[in-house]
Amino acid sequence: MTRVVVTAFGPDRPGIVAAVTGALVERGANLADTAMTNLAGQFAMVLVVEVPEGEQADALEEALAARTAPLGLTVVVRPLPEGDDATTGPQTDGRSAWAVSVYGADRPGIVHQVSALLAQHGANVVDLTTRTVGSTGAPAYVMLLEVTLPADRDVEPLASDLRRLSADLDVEIHLRPDDADVL
Amino acid sequence: MIRPVVCLPDPILSRPAALVGPIGESARRLAADLLDTMRASSHSVGVAAPQIGIARRAFCIDVTGHRKASSCHGEVVLFDPVVLASGPSEVGREGCMSVPDLTGDVPRATSIVVRGTDVEGDLVTVEADGFEARALQHELDHLDGLLFLDRIVADDRVFRRRVYR
Repeated sequence: MTRVVVTAFGPDRPGIVAAVTGALVERGANLADTAMTNLAGQFAMVLVVEVPEGEQADALEEALAARTAPLGLTVVVRPLPEGDDATTGPQTDGRSAWAVSVYGADRPGIVHQVSALLAQHGANVVDLTTRTVGSTGAPAYVMLLEVTLPADRDVEPLASDLRRLSADLDVEIHLRPDDADVL
Repeated sequence: MIRPVVCLPDPILSRPAALVGPIGESARRLAADLLDTMRASSHSVGVAAPQIGIARRAFCIDVTGHRKASSCHGEVVLFDPVVLASGPSEVGREGCMSVPDLTGDVPRATSIVVRGTDVEGDLVTVEADGFEARALQHELDHLDGLLFLDRIVADDRVFRRRVYR
């Protein structure tokens, strides 16, 4: 199976999803995992797409751009390397799941410092959302992450470092297990 | 007998199940199959009849030994269960054997009173709280053709609140 990743974004308006997916359906493509959201009035989409054998990323990109031209979208299509992740998404087997929430006064570097610390501890970011909220004079920053750790890894060193970073950055950082129960 | 677990997108999971009625041989066999199938899956704490391909109002649960359990009635099989009362709700993350790979944050009542018929044909009332209450509600939903996917709240997400000027 051939897969490509399609990234598209542009000024939000009704019909963007319909136009992009319509163009994909016309070329015999099938959507797999996708994420789409509105960020500051820009509608941004990342789509993993199964395409017919022989479909070239460049040709698909051109077709999508032409088809969605009236919407003013920026469209990028790249081939997706074959491998386990291509069919199963992020590897969570053998890893424990954790939710991290970070919030406080906005300042440059929050995302970088938190994510650098997580990386040092072997934590892999599976999902990350950030929002700037509140007044323009005193904006607050909210960051929510889902991360995974190797299952045999003691979480306390990471928890302890996060507490230290929380004090250094003067932001709240909370770490909690993100475990689901199969019913 | 251990039965194969039916998975999405089988339509039986989305249809309300029919009443079992008076308990006879087929209901007792269904109870045994539900228990066998649940016991065979180490990570499952409940199975509803539609999950083993039988569109009847029956399920079993067992939260014994689960770290989140507070009330625990051991192995429970209920036919034609109805909810008599339920308490305030709390969000927790659930998965389902019939929905491979996905989990979601689902609000469930933290306490519940359910009445149904047991394998002896007697009317029984189960008062549960905490994780056992969550398990009961998850299985009750299966009897109405609902999956946890139909109840998800995006607890781990934030959205911009609409501003009215």
